[in-house]
Amino acid sequence: MRFLGFLLRRIVGIAAVMIGVSVITFAISHIIPADPVAAALGDHATDAQIAQFRAEYHLDRPLPEQYFIYATGILHGDLGKSIRTRRSVADDLADSFPATLELSFAALLISIVLGVPAGVWSAVSRGRLPDYVVRVLSLAGGSLPVFWLGLIVIGLFYYQLGWFPGGGRLDTFVPPPPTRTGLYVLDSILAGNLEALRSSLVHLVLPAITLGYFSTALVARMTRSSMLDVLGQDYMRTARAKGLREPVIVLRHALRNALIPTITIIGLTFGSLLSGAVLTETIFSWPGLGRYATASAVSLDFPAVLGVTLLAAVVYPVANLVVDVAYYWLDPRIQHG
Amino acid sequence: MTYRRSSILFVIALLVAAACSQPPPSGSSQTPQTTGGAASTLVWYADTSDLISLDPAVAYEFTGVLLTHNAYETLVKFEGADLATIKPALAQSWDIKDSTSQWDITFKLRSGAKFASGNAITADDVVYSFQRVLKLNKSPAFLFTDIAQIKESSIKASDPSTVVISLPKTASPQGFLAVLTFTIGSVVDSKDVKAKETGGDSGSGYLLDHSSGSGAFVIDHWTKNSEVQLKANPNYTGSPKPALGGVLVKHVPESTNQQFALEKGDADIARNLGAQQITALQGKQGVVTTTGNSLQLVYVGMNVTVKPLDNVNVREALRTAIDYDGIVKDLFKGGAKKVQGIVPAGLAGYNESTPFQADVNKAKSLLQQAGQTAITLELLVPTGPAPGGVAWADLAAKLQSDWKNIGVTVNIKQTTQADLLGTYRAQKGQLVMILWGPDFPDPDANVGPFTDYAAKSIAFRNGWDDKTIAAKGRDAALITDAAKRSAAYKEITDYVLHNGPYVVLYQPTEPFGLRSNVKGFVWSPMDWTDFAAISK
Repeated sequence: MRFLGFLLRRIVGIAAVMIGVSVITFAISHIIPADPVAAALGDHATDAQIAQFRAEYHLDRPLPEQYFIYATGILHGDLGKSIRTRRSVADDLADSFPATLELSFAALLISIVLGVPAGVWSAVSRGRLPDYVVRVLSLAGGSLPVFWLGLIVIGLFYYQLGWFPGGGRLDTFVPPPPTRTGLYVLDSILAGNLEALRSSLVHLVLPAITLGYFSTALVARMTRSSMLDVLGQDYMRTARAKGLREPVIVLRHALRNALIPTITIIGLTFGSLLSGAVLTETIFSWPGLGRYATASAVSLDFPAVLGVTLLAAVVYPVANLVVDVAYYWLDPRIQHG
Repeated sequence: MTYRRSSILFVIALLVAAACSQPPPSGSSQTPQTTGGAASTLVWYADTSDLISLDPAVAYEFTGVLLTHNAYETLVKFEGADLATIKPALAQSWDIKDSTSQWDITFKLRSGAKFASGNAITADDVVYSFQRVLKLNKSPAFLFTDIAQIKESSIKASDPSTVVISLPKTASPQGFLAVLTFTIGSVVDSKDVKAKETGGDSGSGYLLDHSSGSGAFVIDHWTKNSEVQLKANPNYTGSPKPALGGVLVKHVPESTNQQFALEKGDADIARNLGAQQITALQGKQGVVTTTGNSLQLVYVGMNVTVKPLDNVNVREALRTAIDYDGIVKDLFKGGAKKVQGIVPAGLAGYNESTPFQADVNKAKSLLQQAGQTAITLELLVPTGPAPGGVAWADLAAKLQSDWKNIGVTVNIKQTTQADLLGTYRAQKGQLVMILWGPDFPDPDANVGPFTDYAAKSIAFRNGWDDKTIAAKGRDAALITDAAKRSAAYKEITDYVLHNGPYVVLYQPTEPFGLRSNVKGFVWSPMDWTDFAAISK
């Protein structure tokens, strides 16, 4: 019951955030001195075409009325029509979001699978070589620009060594699996299509490493510092005094307690992975939300930009919610506190 | 616990099995052929983010036009890169009759022509297709309504193989034939499209991502943001017959990726290579580079409502100060051609005269004649690369330094092209650097906008209202005698060269990278290629 109340409060919070975000984004996008009509119709449009276009997108109405029309649409699940693609924004998002979600999951997986052990390793060998290696690599992870890393990774692993493909979600002549979730890896497993599964997996590697490097570094550093905290606690000394073996001490007693702050970081990173995929997606020809957002912003496609912003505004709090729920189960003190 | 562990093991086993099922692809062209066949499929890498629709009545963007051009036939066409001679296509012959009140153009259809569906092509299909363009009234429709000035009632089928189209005397019949070579003149399969109409949409929902034409290829599928696959049309009655089994157009926005994929053999043709990539590809084994002509012009508009740009000598000084040879040779390294008139090379009416080249003394004395010593102006510049592959910003910096030599200070303001167009359209720019491409391959498509203030296009944006030259431009459009028309355009372009508010900087060429086994590729300045002529 307490859990339900907690959940309900968070969901109401998300709704409030969405209203705020929609008002602010709408206002900003309509106040900036740029004309979406010029972007959409180009250099050669006639006055009649421009007038027709303004009417079609309600640009000829006062701003509050435009917002009212927009907000009413959202309540009916209608995010408006994209100026650039001339399709419904909801359809566009449904097309591009799964690609980004899949890439973000893969990047997240990399940051957990590599980041947590690296952090643990670094902590237990504090002041020795492995610690320095991990710390240097995670410092680099925090400072390398994504577009540079992406091009280097492509140049090395695709162009020079030929180990991985250079872009896209599938090999040139592999047709996508039937769409169920839009996540190719999952869809190919569901369809039992090994060829598509292999192809989608190898295509994920380079972009996921590029996108995930920053968060891997973050996770490694966070795990290291909280591990160091925990390893200095009294109960660690007790565990050692009891004669427990070192791996058991580190993995069962220390890591479990050190994971709470790491999970916070992972939750926060996931949100930023989704919205931070812009550069990675462009470099790797990844047909996702980031690239959609860039293309939309460049062509002043307000309905699309608003749609992407709203989606991000949902994803962030939802990721946080998932983290909170994870706490709730992981740390009994929160349940009883 | 046991259950969880075993399910994790199962997933890992599945992933490993999948990863081992094929060696990692170093060249996807070696992977099994599941759609169309890799061997006979041309893989075309391009930035296709402009693709909105594959409906010929709607498409007006580079990618859409390239694809629909290959999926449909038009009544008349230009062949290859030659835009001087109009040739028969679905119409085997045509005749322009000057009746007193209007032009009547009669088209005789080629016998035996068929759609991809197998349906015979009749005059009714042509009437339906052209009326459909007018009904839908999308981006390219102005070519019919404003340029050709036709209405639905102007298009008639006089028998199953004859179409008669009437134009008012104010429209140019030559210009209309040129319009008909464009994708808007595509003939759709009316039986098929009518059957696919929903809610009075004239079938535009269906044609958005399907084809219903008689071109050498049909649209197999369009996966949004990823790829469009064309397949050879087995019922194609035109010529040449396609040598390729299909064409796969992949959306790859990064030009470095395009370069890598071309070198690795994953791409057969790369469309958006910059000067840097072209240089990197020189001498690489298995790859050749080539260029295609374009009809675009890159120019600076000088708003004559802004002082001192109202002074013709100031404008001439700005034109005279620029080092055009440096731009073409050093900056673009062959990605541009020196053109200074308002009609691009390749079109009738092109004026070869290039009188300007970095003459600092002459420019300074022109400024003195105008009574100007120190001028400060703002130059609006788009973001990203200019046609020809050099950044707009670099080109702007070159102009800035050339103008500095004659004492003109220019502040560069960079903004998105959309934003820039908003300012430019509203006549609020001072110096605006931008490109122009003609709407249809006829000199009138440039001379009209560049000279006619009333057309509310380029002349208007620069506040240049010269009624005499505008009238001469309108008259030239209607001349049917080729030699007389050419002489009229010579006079107009010579006048604009020294009196107009334009600094024409260059005409870009389009660089392409090809695998060396790709044969028969010819780029048309109409921004397309005939895939049917290509083999690999």
